[in-house]
Amino acid sequence: MNHLIKAEFRRLLASRMWAGLLLAALLLGGGMMGAMALIGPENFDPPMPGLHTETGVRSILGILGYTAFVPAAAGTLAATSEYRHRTAAVTFLFAPRRWQVLAAKLATYGVAGLAYGLILAGTAAVALHTAAAVRGVPLGLPASTVLGLLARIGLAMVVYLLIGIGVGALLRNQVVALCVVIGYLYMGEALLMMIPGLNQLYPILPGGATAALTDFTYLADAMSQQLGSTTLQLLPPAAGALLLTAYALTASLIAVLVPMRRDIT
Amino acid sequence: MSGDRARIEVSHLTKRYGEVTAVRDLTFTVEPGLVTGFLGPNGAGKTTTMRMLTGLVSPTSGTATIGGRPYRRLPRPSRTVGAVFDASAFHPGHTARDHLRVYAAMGGYPDSRVTALLDLLGLAEAADRRTRGFSTGMRQRLNLATALLGDPRVLLLDEPSNGLDPEGMRWLRGFLRQLADQGRTVLVSSHVLSEIQQLVDDVIMIRRGELVAAGPWSRLAGPPAVLVTSPDADRLAATLQASRPDGDAPSVEVIQAGRLRVHGLDAPGVADLAAEHRLRVHELVTETSSLEQLFLHLTTDKAATP
Repeated sequence: MNHLIKAEFRRLLASRMWAGLLLAALLLGGGMMGAMALIGPENFDPPMPGLHTETGVRSILGILGYTAFVPAAAGTLAATSEYRHRTAAVTFLFAPRRWQVLAAKLATYGVAGLAYGLILAGTAAVALHTAAAVRGVPLGLPASTVLGLLARIGLAMVVYLLIGIGVGALLRNQVVALCVVIGYLYMGEALLMMIPGLNQLYPILPGGATAALTDFTYLADAMSQQLGSTTLQLLPPAAGALLLTAYALTASLIAVLVPMRRDIT
Repeated sequence: MSGDRARIEVSHLTKRYGEVTAVRDLTFTVEPGLVTGFLGPNGAGKTTTMRMLTGLVSPTSGTATIGGRPYRRLPRPSRTVGAVFDASAFHPGHTARDHLRVYAAMGGYPDSRVTALLDLLGLAEAADRRTRGFSTGMRQRLNLATALLGDPRVLLLDEPSNGLDPEGMRWLRGFLRQLADQGRTVLVSSHVLSEIQQLVDDVIMIRRGELVAAGPWSRLAGPPAVLVTSPDADRLAATLQASRPDGDAPSVEVIQAGRLRVHGLDAPGVADLAAEHRLRVHELVTETSSLEQLFLHLTTDKAATP
């Protein structure tokens, strides 16, 4: 098993993916958060509550949560790349116990996801506080609470990366899997929120669970108001965390079990 | 090379994909120390069989073992078997060295093995280039390097000659011969029979998933025939047939007017007999049989019998 994890780390570090992930973490964490805080949510179109309010801070942190499709896409790329470049046969020749290969990938990308989350949350924290200080706006939440919320977002990134690997292992076709993962996370959940009845599912979907982590209800509330539907009630943060963990475990199980008996042709 | 020699044994192997039977009740053995050609037209079931041998595809029924064990039960499979299935099986963004280091880690082999194989296969200069720019020949060498990381006793190659230029093909032949001479078991599949003919010791021929012939090439090929062109062909044929008692006489086949194919007597024998009877001979050629002929011969025979 250690051999396999070592091999997966070598595979990850030899391609340009780790550099891409690092860049994404810096741009989305420090870059996007800095830009949003500098402009100020009150100047968004449509305007949102300012940084001096609790809702304002939770909202821009919640928007950061929506970038989870990036690590999810990275996980999908990692799991499908072996099929796309036809290295899956070679890999399974070296390691015929296929579940071990996928377990090693999950371990490796779990670590990579953690690093991604840390950098994303860390640079976001620095950017948010710096921008608030520059504009002279006191944040609507104490620094420790902001850090706690950012840490939750960082951990959610690990979950999404693992979900990406699970979907990739299940679908195998890289383009299809990427379309499904990005399409669902970027568009699918937002569309679901607009469909009366179906939108009641939102709190138990990955996006709803992630929003629950930071108690980010602004977007869901705004949408219910516009559509005149009943307000969606997000899960409590702890339940959201549990639910996300369950999604990660399910995805991991899929990743480990699905390739077991399938013919590699 | 690690451990003893290993024989490949395939027994009543069958693979069905829904209605389609890709491989049907296939039984053969592959011996160590020889290069065995696994031959048949495209779609005959060669790739499916080789993938079943290595556990990549699960058989519907039957067994395939290497050194007495199914592939998935081998303690450290890359030490026993090296296999090349795809002409290109690398991440295009990885260098040759990156690729080998990933699989060296997976098999538990030191980095010195990577360097040694890059040297052995003449890839040292290309080692740090990304594989997306590799030629077919370089890809084939990198495939072989990957397969040889564990210094395996058995080597399986699926259509290794696809896309190789004549020089690459000659290099491959020499390389595989060397591996077989070291006592390894080498199984090479191909649909281009003429390309593989100079390389193989043993032959396994399949068609539509079924075994057509198996055995040493020298035995399957049989003794060579002699082609004779003569203006006195009719009299020469009669003389040849009368040269020895009935059961023992050379058999003569008239190809066209003035041209004969003689079995059971070599070229000097035919020439001497013609001279003795003062018959003119314009051309005398020893015809060694080719895999292609053998294959056509065997499959048309098979088609004729219900």
